[in-house]
Order: sequence, then structure tokens, then C-alpha cells
Amino acid sequence: MSLLEIKKLTKSFTVGDTSTTAVDNISLIVEKGDFLSIVGHSGSGKTTFVSIIGGILKPTSGEVLIDNTDICSLNDDLLSEYRNIKIGFMFQFASLLPMLTAKENILLPGIFGSNSHRNGEDKAIEYLNIVGLHDKVNSYPSQLSGGQQRRVAIARALINNPDILLADEPTGDLDEETEKDIMDIFTKINTEKKVSIILITHNTDLAKMSKKMLRMSHGKLEEV
Amino acid sequence: MNKFNILTVALKNLKRKTFRTGVLVFAIGLLVTLLIFATSFTISVSSSLKKASNRLGADLIIVPEGARGFAEEFLLESKNTSFYMPQEVIERVKRIEGIVTTTHQTYLSSISGLCCDIVPTRIVAFNQDTDFIISPWLEKSFGRKLEKGEAIAGFGTSENLGLGLLDIEATLFNNRFSIVGVLEKTGTGLDNALFMTEENLKSIIDSGNSPIKKGEISIIFAKVNPGSDPDYVGRVLEGNIVEVDVVARSNMGGKFLSILADINKIFLITILLSSVLTVFLVWAIFSAIANERSKEIGIMRALGAKETHIVKLFFLEVLVLGLLGSLVGVFSGTYLSALLAGSFTLVKNISASLGVAEQIAIAIMGLVVGCGICVAGAMLPINRIKKMEPLLAIKEE
Repeated sequence: MSLLEIKKLTKSFTVGDTSTTAVDNISLIVEKGDFLSIVGHSGSGKTTFVSIIGGILKPTSGEVLIDNTDICSLNDDLLSEYRNIKIGFMFQFASLLPMLTAKENILLPGIFGSNSHRNGEDKAIEYLNIVGLHDKVNSYPSQLSGGQQRRVAIARALINNPDILLADEPTGDLDEETEKDIMDIFTKINTEKKVSIILITHNTDLAKMSKKMLRMSHGKLEEV
Repeated sequence: MNKFNILTVALKNLKRKTFRTGVLVFAIGLLVTLLIFATSFTISVSSSLKKASNRLGADLIIVPEGARGFAEEFLLESKNTSFYMPQEVIERVKRIEGIVTTTHQTYLSSISGLCCDIVPTRIVAFNQDTDFIISPWLEKSFGRKLEKGEAIAGFGTSENLGLGLLDIEATLFNNRFSIVGVLEKTGTGLDNALFMTEENLKSIIDSGNSPIKKGEISIIFAKVNPGSDPDYVGRVLEGNIVEVDVVARSNMGGKFLSILADINKIFLITILLSSVLTVFLVWAIFSAIANERSKEIGIMRALGAKETHIVKLFFLEVLVLGLLGSLVGVFSGTYLSALLAGSFTLVKNISASLGVAEQIAIAIMGLVVGCGICVAGAMLPINRIKKMEPLLAIKEE
């Protein structure tokens, strides 16, 4: 059975009299341990597509099936649980909360879960080790570089052992060397922890480091 | 237990904008200070009046016509006033239907240097056989009846006279009196009087220095039949004995209560306006907070926070603010009440004070109102932010 099945997914936005279809009738199957990258120009619908998969945006039509449940039909509480347990998010901007330390940022998803004490400090430190920031446990985001902040965000995305990591241009504003470091971490967690990854990027070189590259154009998805 | 929880996030949020947090705490503190001060003032005055009239133990107070105000001043405000009527009025009062029992007192004022060798004070002569006003305290504090030539000081008088507690000799209207003790606090104007039995009056009158004449008394206290309405009996009494005025227990301190009602209105308007202002301030600040944190809220929602988590986070911040502001207000309001009590004639004259239970109740009310105002102000912004679509919140700038 596939991990994630997307069926005829469509998302249209209407502004005034103009209607735009950002995601146009996409179907896709993601298996456990997949590492997909989606490339495409700005405005091609990549962010809209992963936002729907991540349950932070409702589609106009179609289904997103996980464990045979269509997340588009879930109420807000169940959808929140889905995001908390099944999905790890990485955004295209520095998304750490400024008043929390690196460790506290990593522990944040845990306090929203139904079993909030499952993520002890040890686990947060373990994930900081995985991303190579064991010496930044009590550092605030303002004390971290852009690359270090992204690594903390990866640790935060993984702390609840999600099935899928959605990374929306996570290296967009980073230098090449840091980009490579981040990609190495993705490859490592994909290989060792079998976390499925959907990476959005406009950098085809980075996309080539994934197992499968897809291109998105005008809301349509095609394999490269 | 995990040390990191939503409360930690709420506290860190408050800490990162210390000035803004301080402004809100200060605003709520001011409001609660005003509330505590106003409530303490009003309750202390009204409850002291009620307690004082209850402690007198009489349903009706009968005084010479026109002396109603003097009587209240004497009994509630500790003012030195003298007023007299013929003793024969007692028998006429007893004959009124509904009157069960009576006792009477005679008031004198000592004048330093002219009559007496103690500082000016008020002297109450009472009939020990019929008395039900002084005797309960006398029994409790002294344990026996007063003899001729003995006087006992009211709770406040012993301080006013600069006396030690016992066995002081004083000359009053050419008569030597032994001050044999101090009464417990009654909470009435009688706390500031010196008490002696009626049999001493004859010697005082004979001295020729006192303003009182033989056969005169100042006041009659009456109890009415339990089935009778004191107000009705009082009206009947006034109708039958035209040379007296009658004050029913329920009307005691009426002058103060009407002043207090006006003061209450001013307090109420001030508190209402301040509350509206504080709610508006909290609303404005939390609207700004909701706008500036919408991206963070969106991130939290993407990480799995439910609407209830967002509400809880904001409510904890609001409650901490409300609680801090209220505590500041409770302490400063209580301190201010104690500090300013002496400068308000109304409070000072009737020795108004609050019991511990009343103070605790007022403090709890202050906490509840302070937190409630905070919650009311933050309600709309919280409701707006919790309903934002996560992606829209993330994109909000």
C-alpha cells in the first residue's frame, strides 16, 4: 500500500473576475522512503501543491489519501493532528520562533501532540546532533547563521517521526556549501530513517540529488 | 513532566516585549487600584455604619426634638455634643405600644482647665439597672459592675486621654474618679467616651460646673416587640410625644449613607470609564500582537497546533498579564486605602475599617475583575487569529 496517494488534485484561486488554477488535476503516488524533488519556475504552483499535501491549504477538488483517509475531509482538529504526526514542514524562510532556543524550537511540535511528553530534551539534543548543532542547544535564532537555522528547522520537522518531510525551497537563500550540507542531511535521514521527502526547489542541480525529479509547470506535474 | 510547555512559550512571548507588557500591567494595575480603593472606602463606611447601629442593640433611638443629627454625631462620629430632655419622657415612651424595654444615657463634655484635669472628652452616664448598651462590653472587659466614683474608658479614649490602662485618678466636675479599666472596641462613637454610672451625676450637678440640670437625660434607647415594625413604632412615638425625634436602627447614619451614595456614583462612573479604556487598550495591543505574530501562529499551526492551542497560548498570556496587573492593583489599592483613610473625614469620624474577610473578598474581586477586563479586551483579536488559515497566516506580513 502506498504511503501517500494524490487523486485529481485541483486548486483554483479567484481574485475579482479572474480565476487562476495553481494546481491542475494532479495525481501522484508517494511510497515510503521516496525522495522526490519538484522543480519549476516561480508561480508554477509548487508551494500551493505541497501546502495542500501538508494540510495547511484546502484544495478546490481532489483527494489526498494517507492511510486510506482523505485529509481534505478532516475537521480542523484531526487535520492538526495529521500535520503534527504525519508531516514534517520546512519553509522557504527562517521559520524558527525568535524567543525560543534551538532546543525549545525543536520541542515545539511535541507540545501540540496528544502525547506531549513524548519528546524529552534528550530527543531534541539527539536531533541537534544529527544536524550537527550539538553545541547550539541553548542558542537563540538570532545567534545562529541562516544555515544553522535551517538545520534546526530540519530537526524540528523530524522530532515527531513524521512519515513525510515537506521541504519548500529550504535552501533558497543559502550559499552553495550550506545548500550541500542541508541536502546531505536530507539524504541521510531519507536513507537511515526512511522518511519520505518531497523537496521543492528551482535549483535542478539540487533536485538531481533526489531519487526522482518532477517538474511543475502551469499547475501540471510531469516526470523529468 | 515536560518543563517545556505552552505556558513557557506564553511567558517567553511576554518577556520579549518587556515595555509593552509593562504598559499593560501598569494599566490594569491602575484600574484595579482604583477599584480596590473605591470598594474599600464604600464598604468600610457602609459596613461600619451598619455594624455600629447593630452594636448599639437598640431598635429606636429617642432624642430631644431637633437633636437627631447631634445624636448621630455623638454615637457614630465621636463628636462632642450635648443635648437634653426631661427624664419624665422615659415613662411616656414606655407607654407606647410595641416598646418592650428602654434604657437611657446622659452626655457631658469635659473642658480642660474649667471643670476637669484631663483632656477634653465625652462623658456618658448610664443607668446600670436598665442598660443593655454598655453592659455587654463592661461584663466582657471588666467582669463586674461599676461603683460610685469609678469610671471606665472607651477603647479609643484611653489613648486620647494619654492614660495608662488602670487605676488613674481624674478630677471631673470637682469629683475624683478612679478610672478602673478600658472597654473593648465597640466600633461605635462610644469608643471615644468615658463611662460612669448615673448615680455619679448627682455629685456632678451639685458641683455647679456642668451644663446639665437635675432630672435631665440626653437619649433613650428602646427595643420594640419582635413582632412590631420599628419604623412604625417610631412614627407612632413621634406622633404621641412631640418634643422628641426618633431614629430607627435602619435609618441610623442616613446622612452618611446619602453622601456615600453620591460618592459611589462618582466611583462607579470613574471605574466604568477606566474599564472601557483598559479594555480598549488591551484590544489595541493584542490586535497589534495578533498581526505581528500571525506568521508565527501560521508556523505553529503547520507544526500541528490546533485552534485550541493558539487560544490557550494567548489566554495564558492574557491571564498572566491580568494576574500581574491585578496583584499590583490589589497591593497598591489596599496600601492607598490604608494610607489615605486618615485624610477622609467620613472614614475618620466613624472609625471605618475593614475586617480581614472583607479585605480578602475585595482582593479576590480585584483579581477577578482585572483578569476579566484583560480577557474581554483580548477576546476579539484572539478569535480572529485562531480562525486564520495556516497558509494565509504564514504569508501575512
